Amino acid sequence: MPGIQPRAAAFGLIAALLAGAALGAGLSGADAAKARMAHMKALGAAAKALVEQMRSPAPDKAVVKIQAARIAAAAQAIPTWFPVGSGRESGAKTHALPIVWSDPADFTAARNKLVAAAATLDAAAQAGDLAAVHAALHPVGAACDGCHKKFKMADKT
Amino acid sequence: MTGLSTDEAAEIRAPVVSVWDLPIRLVHWAIAALIPFSWWTAHHDHLPWHRLSGYVLLGLLAFRLIWGFAGSSTARFSRFLRGPVAIGAYLRGRLPAVVGHNPLGGWSVVAIFAALALQIGLGLFSIDEDGFEAGPLSKFISFDASRAVARIHHLTFYVLLALIAVHLAAVALYAVRGRNLTGPMITGRTRLAPGVPPPRMAGAWRILPAALAAAALAWFVAHGLRF
Repeated sequence: MPGIQPRAAAFGLIAALLAGAALGAGLSGADAAKARMAHMKALGAAAKALVEQMRSPAPDKAVVKIQAARIAAAAQAIPTWFPVGSGRESGAKTHALPIVWSDPADFTAARNKLVAAAATLDAAAQAGDLAAVHAALHPVGAACDGCHKKFKMADKT
Repeated sequence: MTGLSTDEAAEIRAPVVSVWDLPIRLVHWAIAALIPFSWWTAHHDHLPWHRLSGYVLLGLLAFRLIWGFAGSSTARFSRFLRGPVAIGAYLRGRLPAVVGHNPLGGWSVVAIFAALALQIGLGLFSIDEDGFEAGPLSKFISFDASRAVARIHHLTFYVLLALIAVHLAAVALYAVRGRNLTGPMITGRTRLAPGVPPPRMAGAWRILPAALAAAALAWFVAHGLRF
């Protein structure tokens, strides 16, 4: 995939391997759902930290690079966060809708939007091009939101 | 009193005076418009508009607080916030007529302002689930804490709604009893009950410094405690 930073890809690969190993080791559906929530929170925290830098009068490029890489890596790892059996049927209070698993092609398409947007963001961040980072932020947020609207129970806050 | 018609005599007994000055009316109707607007923009994912609405409400509330110390007599907290004795007397109908907020209504105003201040304050620290749409003060707390605040921000809106419902019910009750409270809040004028001294209206020059101070505060907060 052109445009994906090697660092982000490596992060994604490691995360994927770890998640695969965890499932292989018998991680239950509920545990997988809880792990997913933790991953999503970390992703939200990375976005928060990045947006805060971009809003500050003097953004810290080092922080921008780290957080952009985290977001790109998380986007890569998302497929490993949704093993079959980690929906509501697992007993976990997950907001993931059954359509995640019943319409995998659609879910993958939605997730690929994030992968592409996050790769653009990460490339801009690693190049230290803050204007490009700024421009790349909105598509990432839109990809998060687009997927959540369709595949996640509405969280009215 | 010969030569006066009954109407004219009534006018003398109950002259029409200014009760709500222009700033009070503008703040009142702007808040009345912006609370539904804030709700609507939040529920339709127009968070940039939701934030802007919150900043304007913050400025309006700040102005109203300043006006509560420096404005016309009917705006001043010192005039309309009364103790339990006065409230009890008012409820038993043993208090002389007042112009402006009555002892009970005054506290309902303060309750609405407090709920609104809480709502705005929580909104400033809130963040959406994606971490992109954030209140300007969320940078001072973690993502998890900010999400928790956002949930409380959602819940406390119902407190504000309940207080507004009480306010509207009171206005409706007065209307049923033949007293129109909405008209004076639009025109600013009311008929003074006999024996009640007319309110003292603040000079218009006071509006500018109060508005500038409120706008500066809202600007400062909206920019994450930076000018």
